[in-house]
Amino acid sequence: MMQTQPKPILLFNDECAVCRHIGHWVQRSAQGRSGETSILVQPIGDDPERLRSLNPDLDIWDAYATIHVLMPDGSMRLGGEAVAETLRNLPNTKWFAWSFATTIFGFRPFQVVLNAAYAILSDVRPLFGCESCGKPRAMKPIAQVTKWAKILFGGSLHPSPHFSSLSAAKRRTVAISVEPLPQSSHS
Amino acid sequence: MGNETREHPREISLKPLSRDKIPTVTSDTFARLVLEAEGPIAVEFMSYGCAHCRAIEPALEQVAEMVKLQERIFRVNIAVEPELASRYQIQGTPTLIMFLNRNEVGRVEGPSPTLSSVLTAVTQPFAP
Repeated sequence: MMQTQPKPILLFNDECAVCRHIGHWVQRSAQGRSGETSILVQPIGDDPERLRSLNPDLDIWDAYATIHVLMPDGSMRLGGEAVAETLRNLPNTKWFAWSFATTIFGFRPFQVVLNAAYAILSDVRPLFGCESCGKPRAMKPIAQVTKWAKILFGGSLHPSPHFSSLSAAKRRTVAISVEPLPQSSHS
Repeated sequence: MGNETREHPREISLKPLSRDKIPTVTSDTFARLVLEAEGPIAVEFMSYGCAHCRAIEPALEQVAEMVKLQERIFRVNIAVEPELASRYQIQGTPTLIMFLNRNEVGRVEGPSPTLSSVLTAVTQPFAP
């Protein structure tokens, strides 16, 4: 059963230092003088069921892969669209956030730039500390620029699975051995 | 064409992720469901924030369906269960550990997100 929320909810990855920092900044910025918040900020957490109670279409893997804002009407904003929605709800930024909805010949130039900026930040965030991403792969400049350019011209907002904490060289099958496990306290 | 589809890893990742085909075990249930259970068991140590875990998820779900009569597959979320991760010396995610009669009989770190690779990882340690 979906919980109805009167305000948008920004979900952030609490395992990622950059995301955590941004989430806390949004939380502080959303606080009005009366103490009311214009947007709710919540960590994604580790419970798929809890997320589904917020929105049945919300998958925990998706939530970790891309920033999500859950709207009161049951829809969701993802990636750069979620960033724009967040900025529209903050007292300090809503004055310029209207620009992201501006359409010129069916094209939203500011939103497109924001989508690309989000994709780039999402890709480089391990450089600033992201425990959940593992170590960043060696940057491949041409591949990255190609990907970001695709996003700029209407490609997917969904970031690729960018980081593995295990390099390809380390992937291996450990020799099969039978060794006793440490005694469990439950046994 | 059909063979290409079966063997091509990208085809697997295009399938939508289904919900909870692989049950999660916690430190409270690990001993009962994994260590004290009979028969071959594979445990994936993962976290939802790990992109590589997400990449292998469709293949792992498919493998769980294929081997369900012979073998059970569970997952441990290391973000919630750091003690289990520490006990089994998990260096990175995803790591698959295969158990048979309380003993670790195999371990695969970061398998390729292909059906054949994951299937080999979870069945090879139990091969006669």
